[in-house]
Amino acid sequence: MNPLLEQFLSEAREFLQGIAEKLMQLENTPDDSYLLVELFRLVHTLKGNSGLFEFPEMTRVLHAGEDLMDAVRDGRVGFSQKLADDLLDAMDFVSVLCDQIEQGGKIEADMTVDSYRLAESLRVLMASQMTSAQTPVVDDAQPASTKDTINFLALNQLPETVRIDAYTRAMAGETLYWVIYTPIENCFFQGEDPFFTARQTPESLWGQISAQEAWPPLAELDAYRSALRFEALSAASREELIEHYRYVEDQIQLIPVDPWSFVIPQGNPNGGPVYEDFVLDALQYMDAGDLTALRSVAETMLQLSNPELWLSSALRWLILLLDTVPPNHQAITILIESLRSLKAPDWSLLTDTLPVVTAVAVAPTIETGSEIKTPVETSSVTRADAKEISEADALALASIFATQLQILQLDDNASWQLGRIKAVAGVLLNCCKAIDDTHAIAAIEEALAASLAAENSAPLIDWLTARSLNVAVVKPVAEPIAEEPPIGLKTLDEAAPMPTVEEITPELVSADDVPKFGRRPDESTAAKSLKVDQAKIDRLMNLIGEIVVSKNALPYLAQRAEEQFGVRELSREIKAQYAVINRIAEEMQDAIMQVRMMPVSFVFQRFPRLVRDISRKLGKEVHLVLEGEETEADKNIIEALADPLIHIVRNSLDHGLELPDVRRAAGKPASGTLTIKANQEGDQVIIEIIDDGKGIDPEVIKRKAYEKNIIDEATLERMSDLEAVNLIFAAGFSTAEVVSDLSGRGVGMDVVRTAVEKVNGAIQLDSQVGKGTRIRISLPLSMAVTKVMIIESDDQVFGMPMDHVVEIVRIPVSELTSIKQSLTTVFRGKIVALKSLNSLLGLPAEPIVNSDGEVAVLIARLGNEVVGLIVDDFHETIDVIQKPLTGVLAGLGAYSGSALMGDGSVLMILNVRGIV
Amino acid sequence: MAIEYKKNQAVFVDVVSVDEAETLLDWLQNKPNAKIDLGRCSHLHPSNLQVLLAAKVSIAVWPKDINLRAWLESILTITQAV
Repeated sequence: MNPLLEQFLSEAREFLQGIAEKLMQLENTPDDSYLLVELFRLVHTLKGNSGLFEFPEMTRVLHAGEDLMDAVRDGRVGFSQKLADDLLDAMDFVSVLCDQIEQGGKIEADMTVDSYRLAESLRVLMASQMTSAQTPVVDDAQPASTKDTINFLALNQLPETVRIDAYTRAMAGETLYWVIYTPIENCFFQGEDPFFTARQTPESLWGQISAQEAWPPLAELDAYRSALRFEALSAASREELIEHYRYVEDQIQLIPVDPWSFVIPQGNPNGGPVYEDFVLDALQYMDAGDLTALRSVAETMLQLSNPELWLSSALRWLILLLDTVPPNHQAITILIESLRSLKAPDWSLLTDTLPVVTAVAVAPTIETGSEIKTPVETSSVTRADAKEISEADALALASIFATQLQILQLDDNASWQLGRIKAVAGVLLNCCKAIDDTHAIAAIEEALAASLAAENSAPLIDWLTARSLNVAVVKPVAEPIAEEPPIGLKTLDEAAPMPTVEEITPELVSADDVPKFGRRPDESTAAKSLKVDQAKIDRLMNLIGEIVVSKNALPYLAQRAEEQFGVRELSREIKAQYAVINRIAEEMQDAIMQVRMMPVSFVFQRFPRLVRDISRKLGKEVHLVLEGEETEADKNIIEALADPLIHIVRNSLDHGLELPDVRRAAGKPASGTLTIKANQEGDQVIIEIIDDGKGIDPEVIKRKAYEKNIIDEATLERMSDLEAVNLIFAAGFSTAEVVSDLSGRGVGMDVVRTAVEKVNGAIQLDSQVGKGTRIRISLPLSMAVTKVMIIESDDQVFGMPMDHVVEIVRIPVSELTSIKQSLTTVFRGKIVALKSLNSLLGLPAEPIVNSDGEVAVLIARLGNEVVGLIVDDFHETIDVIQKPLTGVLAGLGAYSGSALMGDGSVLMILNVRGIV
Repeated sequence: MAIEYKKNQAVFVDVVSVDEAETLLDWLQNKPNAKIDLGRCSHLHPSNLQVLLAAKVSIAVWPKDINLRAWLESILTITQAV
């Protein structure tokens, strides 16, 4: 992985975290414009960065997010819960992509579809919010549909040969796309050549350029402001087209073209419709099913006619249609009928017999919002059997249909798919009933049956797309409409110039570039902090460890100088030098430790999101309070802390805090409070998780523990409440009656305890029934340097971590008592079990008793219990850099590691838990 | 030189890049009746095309490149008709 990408990934994570935080803050203060701007900036920068690499999936989703945030920032879209949810989802997706890139260096192929879906849902959300704010009835698909009219009008301009070719290809199963490429205004400055891109459109059958606006006088022309639009008809697949236009994806529109819309006879009408005889003959042949005869008649007629005539054009199409395998009788009839009036054939009559290929090709892909066509015309103009409805109704209907199509295009695997299909069909049926569209009702019912049988929504989608496509075909044909767009649409378009997705994009992208240029200054301010690979810090840590060890050799040298060589002077000088080196080394060690220190906010920052998500899922109201986020501790410790803390927080949310109703009944505020605080106490970091929930009932815990054989009956009786509640840390303990997906599987709290103890921490819980629970975790500030006490046993020295040492005492042998096989003594009013270190380590020697008849006992802490270790002697405590045991030694449970002493000898550090 | 400027005619040769647009614009402003020879042109940057469109120039020779010609005709002929 190259360094740039590495940098990007680590930054992306930070950005994602920042975005999530800002979103959460916005939920509390939705009007905070500073936060909005900040959030937009984060999304925007992340998108910009992602553009440096070939991750179109990521950029796509981020771009949609950016658009949405931009709209929110400008007040065009209100901030809502739904919006936050969707954005968070999108950011989670991006985070998954980051993981994939980190692991495999690329994004899995199956992510493409998801990215489309997410981007689409963000855009739909934006569009719906925007319209609901401005013109409630009108769907955003509306202006798009007028655009489509224009596009399909353009099919008239295609030469007949191109259209024949296109039609033949479409009939052969290819899907043809109408590509509209509207480059952004300043694209020339980005080194793009849109014309070249358009010319290179794969499998392009035909293309045209048009101006977006009238040209200004030459003197005022800005040649470098792109004002052209490129359109092309392509037989390439959607994927190929998207691949080709991947850098300008937001500037293109892909519209699948219905094959029938190519069939437009053109030419000189030659005095109007005078072909009644031919039509009658042709229809007779059709009725008789004699297509061969019909074809020969048509050919004869064609030879007799001037090729420039409308008739000839229609005949050429007729022959082509006849040659299509299998011939579509209905289509042929329609074409023949059109000869009567010399008006373009009305393909809308073909609704139910559309060739499967178009419908299928359109249905499974996720189209961008603009491509959802609205069946306004179908319902109001071309359908003879449909009731006349007002334009407003037609618009409403169109938006309903478009929405249903979107619903159907949601992901297909959901278990509620069948219900969704039924619901959609219900809506469609009711709509059609309302406008008395009997044809449609029958068709929907058929599609519904097919959908239910196949357990997927394809047939219904087919019907919807077919219906909307038909409209598009009809528009240029139905003459009053072809000349001028329907009044309703036109006025609406002018009266409410709604910023739709397409309309915003150019201005938005151009807005992008301003901050891009202006980004340099704030980069220099950010350069104050360095990002350093952790391995480098670890190496520094190791080196300073070695310095500490080798400096410790100096006092030995001084001693030797004095004792062995008798040079006192030198010895003193060495000691003086040692003092200096010692001071520097210690400072250096401290400084390196500082580098490794991280604020606990690293772990805390994920809680707002976690708490929000879980509490929403559980239907609880939770107020999260974070305190002491700036408290620092060693990176390893902070990292080791993350999972246990999350587990504890989940537990508190799931088991601790009650539902709002229950809380109200108990006289508590409906919203529970979860406090997570960190502070430093001496060389320990204390983290407390406090909830004001129902608390833990010690009786329940005791009973459960007894049932699960974690404690015996005697312990059950003897136990204090505090001890009882701490039983939840015992292995295999779970109080939840029902296992939820959050907690309650019995692998919870003991894992937490183990994780905390692994970093030499301790965990304690106290709880009051009805009042709440408090979990207290104490952790060492750093793991790098361990203070150990040197103890001696059987002429060997061992290190004992000071964390475990409670006290060292000498106890007269007379006070030792044997209970069964084990030695005990009463120490400070408590019974303490005594164990001989020699026997624990398998050393054959007996403990040495000193001249006063006392044994040396080290009272060690083991979790909440204490144990006495009988050793031979105690020595000083020293700071060591503990190294884990490696190789075959790693399996030794008795030692937690080794350390190098100043004189070069190796000190083995005992692991109390491993030996007792 | 991608554009050869003659007395009253600009001859586009091979690929006419984005850098030419400014010069072309200046030149056309002084020669409102100039004609354009695209015969040897294989591609032109759209900025140049915009200049041609805004200047409503007449095309003396259409490109030999059929594909380019088809694209250009779609817009240049329309503008001229207006």
